[in-house]
Amino acid sequence: MSLYPAFARPRDLGQAAEIMGSLSTGAMIIAGGQEVMPSVNYGALMPEVYIDVGQITALKGISEENGAIQIGSFTVHRDVQQSDVIQNNLPLLSYAAAQIGGGMQVHNRGTIGGNIVSMHPLYDILPSLLALGADVDILKDGEEQRMALADLMKDASHGLGSESLLVRVLLKPMTPDAGWAYEKLKITAGGYGSANAAAIVTLDSDKITSLRIIVGAVSALPVDISDALSDYRGQAWSEHLAEEIEAKASAAIKEPLSDHQGDGDWRRAMAGVMARRAIEAAVKRAG
Amino acid sequence: MEDMLEDTVLVNLRINGRLHELEIPAHKSLLDLLREDLNLTGTHMGCMTGHCGACTVSIDGRVAKSCITLAATLGRAKITTIEGLTQDDGTLSALQQAFWDNAGFQCGYCAPGMLLCTVELLETNPDPSDADIDTALAGNLCRCTGYQSIRRAVKAAITTTKEGAPQAAE
Ligand SMILES: Cc1cc2nc3c(=O)[nH]c(=O)nc-3n(C[C@@H](O)[C@@H](O)[C@H](O)COP(=O)(O)OP(=O)(O)OC[C@H]3O[C@@H](n4cnc5c(N)ncnc54)[C@H](O)[C@@H]3O)c2cc1C
Ligand code: FES
Ligand code: FES
Repeated sequence: MSLYPAFARPRDLGQAAEIMGSLSTGAMIIAGGQEVMPSVNYGALMPEVYIDVGQITALKGISEENGAIQIGSFTVHRDVQQSDVIQNNLPLLSYAAAQIGGGMQVHNRGTIGGNIVSMHPLYDILPSLLALGADVDILKDGEEQRMALADLMKDASHGLGSESLLVRVLLKPMTPDAGWAYEKLKITAGGYGSANAAAIVTLDSDKITSLRIIVGAVSALPVDISDALSDYRGQAWSEHLAEEIEAKASAAIKEPLSDHQGDGDWRRAMAGVMARRAIEAAVKRAG
Repeated sequence: MEDMLEDTVLVNLRINGRLHELEIPAHKSLLDLLREDLNLTGTHMGCMTGHCGACTVSIDGRVAKSCITLAATLGRAKITTIEGLTQDDGTLSALQQAFWDNAGFQCGYCAPGMLLCTVELLETNPDPSDADIDTALAGNLCRCTGYQSIRRAVKAAITTTKEGAPQAAE
């Protein structure tokens, strides 16, 4: 084996499947490289083979057909922010993509696929995708499989990044009356937040008809607290509900992260604060 | 299958208008390619983690941090480095001159990111607000100027551009 990595450039999904099927786990898919390259430069990661997926047209572009929106995994944050399809149908997602740190340079090269597969606790896209109930298509063992993003995140054997390829993200448009918000608390220099929350709510006059809240950056993966809020359906919105939601969001964080973004107890408290701010802002937008 | 694996990769890069056909090792960052192989040392190395922006170049019209761009993935890209902003005879572009006149540079280490991000900002938004300027430059750290003079320089560049002074060279 050479000291230096080899390089593979599959031109379509068939070639990608063939390459992934024949290589060991030392192979690494590279999209924008905005997650991989900092680790490589610091010696934390040494791929034996790079699989560059940037030539595969099936991974590119945003489309809308019969009320179904598809985002190719090799779509950069800048395009998610600026796409008319996303802005009109999924404003929460285009807003969240704009909250990513690292500046215009990272927005121009970092992809939605790379962001998802990293499953990094501090990244900004997963909470919104989970709130929106996204599905994903995965190419594994030569076949495409569709599954809920939430299920993929629970599956430790997904093999994404070396043995399997994230092809696209599938979403349904938000209803025009839905209120939404993504709140990110930043207290340190650099791009990352210390807690965040994505919320989507619909109201019938002032009564809650649906409510989803995902809290991120406070535990290993974002936490969906929507089930714990199901009793609020049918209730009238009030300041008091916001306070209850704050308490429930904090209580849902069983194993808070404790790192340079803040210690565990504080992160748990901030999970609540972000959930409250997100629902308050979402309610203001609803209707 | 083995023939799908390459140890070196052929790329055809148009850098500041000049075509370079290069056979490069798979692991090389665009930063190393520019500085070490092509002697384009105006692109600076600050952190190698994507945080500082000193290594910024423009790839197919969009700014990128060259330290975290794997050169082998670039294929046939068009790249502009900070050297490409200056005219052939060394005359500064209007934007560079505005930075010069307004103390937008002190040591100049951050200049590649500040200038190339501003070029892209003004192409898409000729009349940016302070907030737009701050967002466009958010990927760049400056350890000297305190950022106020950089914002001033960007605004001065907008004024000279509106008054019809020469714009950044291709
Ligand atoms: C300075 C800086 C600040 C940042 N700040 C933020 C921030 O505030 N919020 C945030 O969310 N992110 C942030 N990021 C992270 C940024 O890297 C991600 O947002 C980006 O989306 C990663 O995408 P990529 O295409 O560059 O991934 P890559 O680095 O190419 O890949 C990342 C991982 O995903 C795998 N992968 C990529 N594509 C696929 C695919 N199609 N199928 C299977 N596996 C795949 C790779 O094998 C690798 O494991 C920051 C990055 C930098 C450098
Ligand atoms: S050297 Fe590339 S961002 Fe610092
Ligand atoms: S002028 Fe010195 S880093 Fe900006």
